[in-house]
This record gives sequence, structure tokens and C-alpha cells, in this order.
Amino acid sequence: MVIAGFVVQCQPQSQQDTVVALEALGQVEVFGADEKGNIVTVVDAESSADLEKIVKKMEGIEQVLNVGLTYLNVEDEAKKIASGDLSPNPFPRKKHWEKLN
Amino acid sequence: MVQTRRDFLKRTAALSAASYLGMLLPFQDVDNALAADETAWHRGSCRLCGVGCRLELGVKNGLPVALRGVPQSRTNMGYLCMKGMHFWKLMNHPERLTTPLYRAKKSDKFKKISWDEAMDIAADKFAGAVKEHGNDSVAYYGSGQALTEETYLFQKIFRGGLQTNNVEGNPRLCMASAVGGYMTSFGADEPIGGYADIEKADCFFIIGSNMAEAHPVIFRRVMRRKLDNPQVTVINADPRISLTSRIADIHLQFNPGTDLALLNSMAYVIIEEKLHNQQFINDYVAFKKGKGDTIDFEEYKKSLADYTPEKAATIMGGKVTADQIREVARKFASSKGTLSMWTMGLNQRKQGVWANNLVHNLHILTGQLLKEGADSLSLTGQPNACGGVREGGGLCHILPGHRPVEKEAMRNQVEEAWGVPKGRIPALPGLHTMAMFSAVNEGKIKAMWINCTSPVQSLPNCNKYNTGLAKDDTFIVCTDIFPTLTTELAANLVLPTAFHFEKTGVYGCTERRSQITRKAIDPPKGAKPEVEIVRDWANLLAKKLNDPVISQCIKPFAGLEPEYALPKAIWEEYSQKLTKGTDCDLTGATYEVLEGMYDGVQWPAPTAEYAKTGGTVKKFVRGMDPMAETHKTDDKPYQFYGAAHPDHKLWIWARPQANPEEIPDGDYPFYLSTGRIIDHWHTMSMTGRIPELLRANPYSYIEVNPKDATRLGIKPGDMVEITSRRGTNIMPAKVYEGPIEGMVFAYWHDQHPDRMINKVTMDAIDPGSKEPEFKICACKIKKVSGPQALKPYIV
Ligand code: SF4
Repeated sequence: MVIAGFVVQCQPQSQQDTVVALEALGQVEVFGADEKGNIVTVVDAESSADLEKIVKKMEGIEQVLNVGLTYLNVEDEAKKIASGDLSPNPFPRKKHWEKLN
Repeated sequence: MVQTRRDFLKRTAALSAASYLGMLLPFQDVDNALAADETAWHRGSCRLCGVGCRLELGVKNGLPVALRGVPQSRTNMGYLCMKGMHFWKLMNHPERLTTPLYRAKKSDKFKKISWDEAMDIAADKFAGAVKEHGNDSVAYYGSGQALTEETYLFQKIFRGGLQTNNVEGNPRLCMASAVGGYMTSFGADEPIGGYADIEKADCFFIIGSNMAEAHPVIFRRVMRRKLDNPQVTVINADPRISLTSRIADIHLQFNPGTDLALLNSMAYVIIEEKLHNQQFINDYVAFKKGKGDTIDFEEYKKSLADYTPEKAATIMGGKVTADQIREVARKFASSKGTLSMWTMGLNQRKQGVWANNLVHNLHILTGQLLKEGADSLSLTGQPNACGGVREGGGLCHILPGHRPVEKEAMRNQVEEAWGVPKGRIPALPGLHTMAMFSAVNEGKIKAMWINCTSPVQSLPNCNKYNTGLAKDDTFIVCTDIFPTLTTELAANLVLPTAFHFEKTGVYGCTERRSQITRKAIDPPKGAKPEVEIVRDWANLLAKKLNDPVISQCIKPFAGLEPEYALPKAIWEEYSQKLTKGTDCDLTGATYEVLEGMYDGVQWPAPTAEYAKTGGTVKKFVRGMDPMAETHKTDDKPYQFYGAAHPDHKLWIWARPQANPEEIPDGDYPFYLSTGRIIDHWHTMSMTGRIPELLRANPYSYIEVNPKDATRLGIKPGDMVEITSRRGTNIMPAKVYEGPIEGMVFAYWHDQHPDRMINKVTMDAIDPGSKEPEFKICACKIKKVSGPQALKPYIV
């Protein structure tokens, strides 16, 4: 579980369409919006990788001008990395000196 | 209803975002039991770019588990970008260096050694070099990512202890021309205003910067300003259409290196149409040419005669029209507040200082300066290039507190503060970066310390310098958190260091603002903060060289625990003794004051009381800058007290259009330019180890304009060879309406030997700033095959 809060920015006139497009992505919940085109958005993702994918999709919505992160919780993933159940390494390898010796 | 942890976190996330907008949600009080969450929040700065975003790291059971922005922060108002959000993953990363590694010869394999052995070897090699080959046979090469305390201590030991000014850092590769521009135009380094001008500006002039990718949170602020105020004009001047251009009302796309003509032409129009501010000029301005000869307004005006909009449009390649130049000049001059922002597109040039001067000229001519919303603001690339390196004494010609090395009185002030004999600091500046690495090539540097940077990848024309770095003539120590191409090729000794939030210290961002980050979690076992490493090394050096002055340099720091007390003592010495009374006065910005602030303090900030307000938003303005009062020479509202301009004036420079070192010809018909991509940072030693960021952009590609691609039969994804007079790369093509026709563009992060673009770039330097011309060289391209499956490469 990775939870993130964002203010998504769009043109004020396209706010409603943007909210619909955001919610259509799934895992994205909109909690409110203001008249300036700022949308309070929360993403409930499986992992950081999943979150990254969703954010790229959010950024890909035509009306979206900016996706600004305000909060991120990665406690599940951090625990898994610390216990060795998950590697944050793109291509897991041995420790540097082990590799060299 | 029972609230699950997932619900709690989602509500917390929503409340955080809503609070930025002043929006009330129907669940203001999240469940009390869960609200008493055991996560401890530690305030600090983002580790990555020069924006200086403030955030809080959530730590639970010793692990980094969460991040949140600091909405009260004047740098980012709480917003963070996606690149900044991932750096927590580097804290417990399995590839972190955790033990000192040593090899006597660079062709040997590294062996694990103890810290005691490592420090002994480091001290032995530097002491031996000094004894046998003299003080200037040793050198320090640091980083705009090191903490101020680290840069300051390193340079103190090298200058005061080892008696060499061979103290440099990678900001020479990115910011030196901005320093040169500010010094020669305004008489003092660093911007007059800052980010606060964004929300007041009516015209943005963004030149040579892709801030949407390189400074995303600043870009967000600019975009917000434009959305809220449709009358705001955004002008983007750049040979490449980038993500930044998409908010521009006017995009000026010109041949690389012709922007000096554009800037002079804008000045031409401003004067021709009488849009300049004559009163401001009368009161505050002198005109200069050449190396500083005084001229008058008429002579300056005459120097612009060759830059009519029609002529400039031709010089620029014909895509920009004369009318566009006129329009842009008018908007620049007549808006309520014009804010220029630029970065490497102007700095990394053989004419980098001149390009900076010409932007400043426009602001001085029009008086678009010193008032709300108006400034000439150079954006910094690295988080502490300004604070640590420009202010803390991290370049070969500058002592701490913006003091020029060559001034005896300045050297004496530093010697006195350090309690070392007069004359201890050598009188001449040391070797600048490119001269330093040339000296390595020549075998003249016998021992070198490289801290927190990877010159094997980041120097221009790197094949040339890597020959020397690979030789055993120079003993090299690297302090870093991960292996890099430099540890692999050049290091004899690799020392593992603590990362951001694993140690305490100050970063100073673009807008003269110093911000503290306190240690929040332990570094991996075996890694140490640099300040501890340097202190221990200096102790041994003093013994091996039998030199009590080296001991004196570290005496104030003896016995202090390295996590907080040691960096605090170093900051105290630096801020209280060496910035007091200078234009970057941080006397009021003690650790206590900095820790009490959401963001930090903009200097000058001579007292704690004043520093607590946030410091000086606008330099030189009486009523806003305390030094404008204490250094005033008359009753005028603006006081230019910068030490480099004894006449207390702003200087407008007559500077002609001048070509880059290389322009395309029959053999090398394309311009090559390089830059950043949003997901990655510099040499990718950090961002390449974060799977989400690596996957987003696993390797570099070459952007080719569709017209050129059609002409050369290059299709998207085809493998393309890029060759200059210095080296070759092969990477996939991205056929894209980005670079202007006749130009190609590559990202410089990739470590793979085939895609390391600095093998191709140019090492010509600006004669004033000594900054290399990374941004422009000539190359040829050809398709070598269709698309190929590539693997990312991280050493
Ligand atoms: S804009 Fe720069 S400082 Fe801010 S979060 Fe992104 S990388 Fe970090």
C-alpha cells in the first residue's frame, strides 16, 4: 500500500472534465476542487511503481497542467525493503565490494 | 465505524492537499487514536535540485516511511515533484557503500579495509605529496550537493592546513558564469530578488532553461501565476521546444549561440522606442565595455547599431521574426514587473558571462529590478551550489564569505578567524576545474580528494580527462554514498558517507536562502558524515606533516560528536566569524534560528531577530535590506554596496554577438546540445537506483528534428551514431519537434560507455568564468541500425 495526496492543477474551465478523467483511472479519488482549477486528489496504489504509473497517467490527461505531491506514505514498502522482502534495486546485485572481489 | 489504517492515510493525504488550498473537508479531525500515530516528522530540504523545496520526512521505528511538503515554506509552498518524492529509497538501499575500499593501483580490484587503515592511507598519501611535490600537488574537487559545513571544512583544511587554493567544485561546470555575470553587472554575486517575485511578475522571460523538467516546483509557481492572471505574458527563448515552452505565449526558437544578438536587439528596440528608464539610468547606472572601460550611453547605443531586429532575426537563423523581437522587447520593458529566469543554456557557454550580462542589461536599462515582480534571477542547478560553494569558499578564487583570494586583506581576515599565521593562505587563486583536471592529465596533481560528484562522467570532452584520471600518477580519494564511474575508474580509496537526513547541515538554494536539515535516521553501518571524516584525516595529516597549524584548523571541533555538535560548531565558525559584515551576512542565521523556521533565512541577515523574519527578500533596497542602510552613500532608495563595484553603480555592458567555439560545418553539420530529463539527476548514481525513475527513462536518446530525420532516413527508435571531433555515442533516436532544424539534443545522465554524451561535448571555456561550453558543439549523425533492445547501465 502506497498512499499519496496531490493537488492536481488544470485550466479552471476544464475542471469538471478533469475530475471525471482522474476518477476514471481507478485508484484515484477526488476529495474536492476549487474555482481556480486545483483538485484535491488521493491515489491508493499497490506500490511506488504502481503510483508512478498512475501519476504518469494523471499527467497524461490532456487538461492536466501539473501534478503536485503534498503527502506520501510508503510505510508498507519501507518495512518490506528493510526486512529484505523487497529490493529497491532495479537490477539486484551483490554488495559493491563483494562484486569486485 | 472503524477506520482502517488505509482510510486514515487516505484522509491524511486528502487533508494535506486540501490544506494547501484552504479547503475544508468534512473530516477535519481524523480518528484520534490513529492521529496519535507514532511517525516522527523531521523537517529538511529536498536532496535534489536547486529549488530548495522544504519537506518533512516521516520516520517510524528508524525507517523512512513518509514524506510531506511544508506548506508554510516560501520556496515550495509545500509542493514537491515526483523526482523529489523518491529519494527516501536511497536511505536503506542495498547498494550503499558501507565500508572503505582500497586499491594501490587503479588496475587492481578494491579490497575492504578498516576506517583506521583508510584514514591512515589518505593522510599518508596527501602528506607524502606535499612533502615531495609541494603544496600545490594536492587538490580538492567538491560538489554543489555537499552541505555547507562539509565544503567549508574541506576548504579550510586545504587552504589553511595544506596551503593550497586548489579547491574547486562542480558548480564551476554550471554556475560560474552566473557568478561572473552578477559580479560584473551588479557588483556582487547572487540575485537581488527571489521566488517571491514570481507571484508579482507580469512578464516572465525564460531563456536557456527547461524549468518544467529541471526546476519543476518553480515551473508550477510560474504556471499558477499565469493561470490566475491571464494578462501575464510568458516568453520562452530557446533553440529547443521543451515542456517549458507549452505555457509560453511567445516562443523564440533560434540557432544555438545566437541569443546574444537577440538580447542586444531587445536593448536596441528598448532604446529606439524610448522604453528605457532614463531616471533610473541617471541615478544608478554606469556603462562599460571590454574589460571595464567606462563609456557613455551614446557609445553603448552605438554598439547596438548592428542589432536591429531585422539583422538579429537573420543572425538567429530566420525562424524568429523582427516583429517578434520588437514585441518581446516591448513586453519586457513595459510590464509591471518582468522576471527573467535562466540556467545552463546561458551559463554553460564560452560566452556565458556575456550572456548573463546581456540579460542583466535589459533589467538595468528598463529599471525592471529592485521592485516587486522584477528581477534577473539565475536558477541554480544543485541544492547547495550557492550556499556551500559560492558562499562557503568552494572555488579556487573565492574564500568564505564571497572574499576574493587575491586580496591580501581578505586572506588576512580569514587567517585571523582561523587563528593561523598571516600568509598561511597562498596569495594566488588555485587551479580552476578544467585546469585542475588538465594538471591531473599532466601528472602534476599527486593526491586529489573528490567529494560527492563524478567528474569521470560530468566533465566535458571526458575521454581526454579520463586518461589522466585512470593513471596511477594521481592518488584519488572519493567520498560518496554509491559507486560511480569515478570510483570505478579513478579512485584508489573509496570512503562511504552518510546521505541527506542521515547527517545535519545547511543547504543554500537559488534565492540566497539557507535552510537546515537535521539528522533524522542513522546512516547504514559503516558510513560516516564527511565532517567527521575530514576532521579525523586532518588530525592524522597534522601528525604526519608535524604541522601544528593543521591541528589549529580543527581545534575548535575536537571531540564533538559528529551528528549535530560538530556540524553546528562548523556552521557557527563560518556564519559568525566569516560572514559577519559581508554581503552574505548569515550572523543571525544560527542553527537555533534555522531550526525554528519552516524554510530558512535569506541573507544578508545580520541579527537573529531579523533572520527570524526570513531575512532579506530584496537586496540593495533601503527598508528591505539592512545593509543598504548601513552601507548607504547617499539618500537614494537603492544602495549598491557590492564590493566589486567601487562606484556603487550597476553596470551595463556593451557586448557583441560572438559565436560558440564550434559551429557546424561541412564535416560536422549539426549543433549538439545536452540537458536534463525530469526523472533523473546528474550522473544517475542516485536516480538510476530507484526503479520507478529508472524505468521511466532507462537510457538516453537523441532528439532529432523530424525534417532532419526524414532527410537522413532516421526513424523513431533507430540507433544513431553521434560523432564530434572528440568522441562518439550511439543511442536511439527520438524524432521530435523539439530541437530546431539542424540541432540534436541528448540527456547527459546515462552512464553507459556508448551513451555517455560528455565524450562528445566540448571543453572550450568562458575566458572569465572558466565554465565549459557543454551546451553547444558541432557533431555529425548517422543511422547505424534499426531499433535495438537496450539495457540500462548503472555501475
Ligand atoms: S523541484 Fe527540486 S527541490 Fe523541489 S522536490 Fe523537485 S527535485 Fe526536489
